[in-house]
Amino acid sequence: MNPTIKRVLAILSLPVWICMVLQHPSSAQTSHSTDIAVVVHPDTPITDLSLAEVRKVLLGERQYWNSKLPVSLLIRAPVARERDVVLRVIYQMSEAQFKQYWVAKIFRAEVTSPPKIVYSNDMQYDLVSAIPGAIAFVDARNVRPGLKVLRVDGHLPGDRDYPLR
Amino acid sequence: MQRSLLVFAVLFLTATGVAWGQSSPPPDQTEQVKILLERIQQLEKRMSELEAKQAAAPAPSLSAAKVPLPEPAAAPAVQGHQHDVSVEQAAVRQMETHYPSLQIRGFADVDFSATDQKGTNSGFNLGQLDLHLASALSQKISYFGEITFNARPTQYTVEVERSIIRYDYNDYFKLSFGRFHTPIGYWNTAFHHGAWLQTTIDRPFIVKVGGTFTPVHFVGLLAEGNIPSGGLGLSYNLGVGNGRGDVISRPGDAGDINNNRAWVAKVYARPPKLYGLELGASIYQDKITLPVPNNQGYREWIASAYLVWTKGSPEFLSEFDNVHHRNIVTNQVTNSDAFYVQFAYRLPWLERSLKPYYRFEYAHMPLSEQVFTHQDQVESILGLRYDISSYATFKTEYRNTKNQPGVLGSLAQPAVNGLFFQTAFTF
Repeated sequence: MNPTIKRVLAILSLPVWICMVLQHPSSAQTSHSTDIAVVVHPDTPITDLSLAEVRKVLLGERQYWNSKLPVSLLIRAPVARERDVVLRVIYQMSEAQFKQYWVAKIFRAEVTSPPKIVYSNDMQYDLVSAIPGAIAFVDARNVRPGLKVLRVDGHLPGDRDYPLR
Repeated sequence: MQRSLLVFAVLFLTATGVAWGQSSPPPDQTEQVKILLERIQQLEKRMSELEAKQAAAPAPSLSAAKVPLPEPAAAPAVQGHQHDVSVEQAAVRQMETHYPSLQIRGFADVDFSATDQKGTNSGFNLGQLDLHLASALSQKISYFGEITFNARPTQYTVEVERSIIRYDYNDYFKLSFGRFHTPIGYWNTAFHHGAWLQTTIDRPFIVKVGGTFTPVHFVGLLAEGNIPSGGLGLSYNLGVGNGRGDVISRPGDAGDINNNRAWVAKVYARPPKLYGLELGASIYQDKITLPVPNNQGYREWIASAYLVWTKGSPEFLSEFDNVHHRNIVTNQVTNSDAFYVQFAYRLPWLERSLKPYYRFEYAHMPLSEQVFTHQDQVESILGLRYDISSYATFKTEYRNTKNQPGVLGSLAQPAVNGLFFQTAFTF
């Protein structure tokens, strides 16, 4: 190949390489592999949800467990692994898209408030225990007794085909 | 025009550069936060292990008489634990919803436009300043309001865009009263008046603010909810209201202009297996009374269908509307059609902040049309959206518009080319 053409090709391919390098760090967040358990208030009348149903709940499209019990959504603050998994697997959104999604959702008069943000596991457990209809996502290694762990697609955390990891 | 465009382009690039510099936090800071959070998680895990051990140990059976005096060193620890518990309880109480819980959010945009249309000037203009109110009044009752401030040549106009009170029974039945955006098609209820929400600078012709093609607003009641439909993910909207007012671009806010109520029905599907897909159809019926000439009455039917894929990579929006008018006296019938197709793709680089897009629009109103102004319009839009942060964006667009009164196919008027810039944000 002509050296000039080689040089031109190298220059042209540079932006592609730069873009690949810039894109790479986002995948570093997904290096862990612990399961994320879906926990609800013990009185919630549900034991099993499909991943699509979990998504419906998280998107605010399902807002009631039944006529008397509204869903109360709890999500960990940014950078927590639980949040990373929820955004990647369920929402399939970036952090910015997630924020924009909830601003738009409220603006469309579909909900009055975004999910409640929790800053620690302790706070998460306290809130799920205290608020009827609450649903949260916790590291399966840290699940405490007294909360109901939901099956997702028929699987519990630790099962081979459990989808939230 | 060229000079002003050049100046604007320089300003735009400078602003973009500044925003770029501000939006990316130093990587080591992010790393430190990550390390700290991991450390917190480890400590939390350790604490839960200790608590579990403590709970497993046999509890000493103490009677009141045998309670030993607290050791001086143990007292602060007990007090500390009690303090932690009360802090957590306070946090829980704080997180519980209180009524009414008013939340206010604003949307605004600043625009610049320059076209080659004779008689128009290039320049800046303020878009809409839009305030949105959302308040839960109880567990099942909510209020939503939207107020816009619009710049006019001599003043600002204030408009109540939406004012809705909603009663939720469950996911299958929610009943609202007030002033809505009419659930015809997709765009009108997806983006409302917030320019920041929509990918493009402007709304399509069929849902233009102040436009007449479809009634953008609706005063009355609206029932909505999900339909038990398994994998189809169906939902519905059913509304009854005043319909178009004396000025057909406006609803009858202060009362209907005739004794005929308009109604609207919409069914749409969001199949859970095809996350991002939404398709729907709607029908709207009204009786229009035009004061000029001679209080002429018309039956109006609007049929609409849409198909959208709302994920950013790619984003695809398409919507078709047919507006059918029948003169009640002469039975003369006209059909006007309009559609748009919009394609956008959020590029994977630069934190997915860039989104190029293209939209094609077409509208046809026949010469015999008596309710609308006769006009055919074909428009192509090519643009780029750049999200400078999660809540602010820059958009730049090139538009080519052909307007022609009369029949399509004789687009003799020169096309209008224009460059448009916008910064839109929410606060």
